[in-house]
Amino acid sequence: AKVKAKELRGKKKEELLKQLDDLKKELQILRVAKVTGGAAAKLGKIYTVRKSVARVLTVIKQTQKDNLRKFYRKKTHKPKDLRQKKTRALRRALTPYELSLKSKKELRKQRLYPLRKYAVKE
Amino acid sequence: MAPKAKKPAATPAKSAAPKTSKAAAKAAAPPKVDAGVVKAKEKALRAKKSVVRGTHDKKNRKIRTSVHFRRPKTLKLPRAPKYPRKSVNKTNKLDQYCLIKYPLTTESAMKKIEDNNTLVFIVDKRANKPMIKMAVKKLYDIEVAKVNTLIRPDCEKKAYVRIAPDYDALDIANKVCCD
Repeated sequence: AKVKAKELRGKKKEELLKQLDDLKKELQILRVAKVTGGAAAKLGKIYTVRKSVARVLTVIKQTQKDNLRKFYRKKTHKPKDLRQKKTRALRRALTPYELSLKSKKELRKQRLYPLRKYAVKE
Repeated sequence: MAPKAKKPAATPAKSAAPKTSKAAAKAAAPPKVDAGVVKAKEKALRAKKSVVRGTHDKKNRKIRTSVHFRRPKTLKLPRAPKYPRKSVNKTNKLDQYCLIKYPLTTESAMKKIEDNNTLVFIVDKRANKPMIKMAVKKLYDIEVAKVNTLIRPDCEKKAYVRIAPDYDALDIANKVCCD
């Protein structure tokens, strides 16, 4: 039975955890078989079961993260790993609002001396 | 000298006249309002006086019974974070399945099973004895008497798990390997 991620995504968390448990038990049995001289079919299965375990864990983690992001979408204070990563410098840079702020002097200049457009009369 | 003499003479007369009129007016007004107004006026005047003069009352000095100054205890609030720093806490990667890798099936291990009622496992290097005990209990539903561990020369941890006398290591070994 090949475990497919597409099928896993619909399932609930308890189901996924139970499936994870079953797979891990199977893996244990296979490892014992490896030590006690098991059949080639069993030994080959180790790889597929390992990867299935990885797939289930990935789906669990992904859905968990996704739900958390939805939960924190409208909130101002998010956990740090749900915020924009960008770079350290970019995170500390001025926000677009802060950049747009102008001093009274500058505003006055802008109002008094706007950029004029000229046209040449043909 | 003459004008000066006249002035004081004039002022008392003047002050006397308005004073009497005022007194008459005050008496004419209802007594309740009069008392309230007078009190308020007195209070205001006192306040003004204290502001102008400044308050110089006795400073309440604390009595110090010791030579040393001890840091006063201030309010310590518990943490109430506005957001968790990590959205998800780390899962335990070293669960029971990862702890116990596989049982050993060497001749000396077999001897241990028959003679000493112990099972020999290869175990994760980060495992410790209580963890191994709990993991074996959970995985095989048995009672563990004690656990001895050593690290092999090829950097794998070997655990000798002595099982309680009311369980049989041979049975468990057969169940485990022939499943």
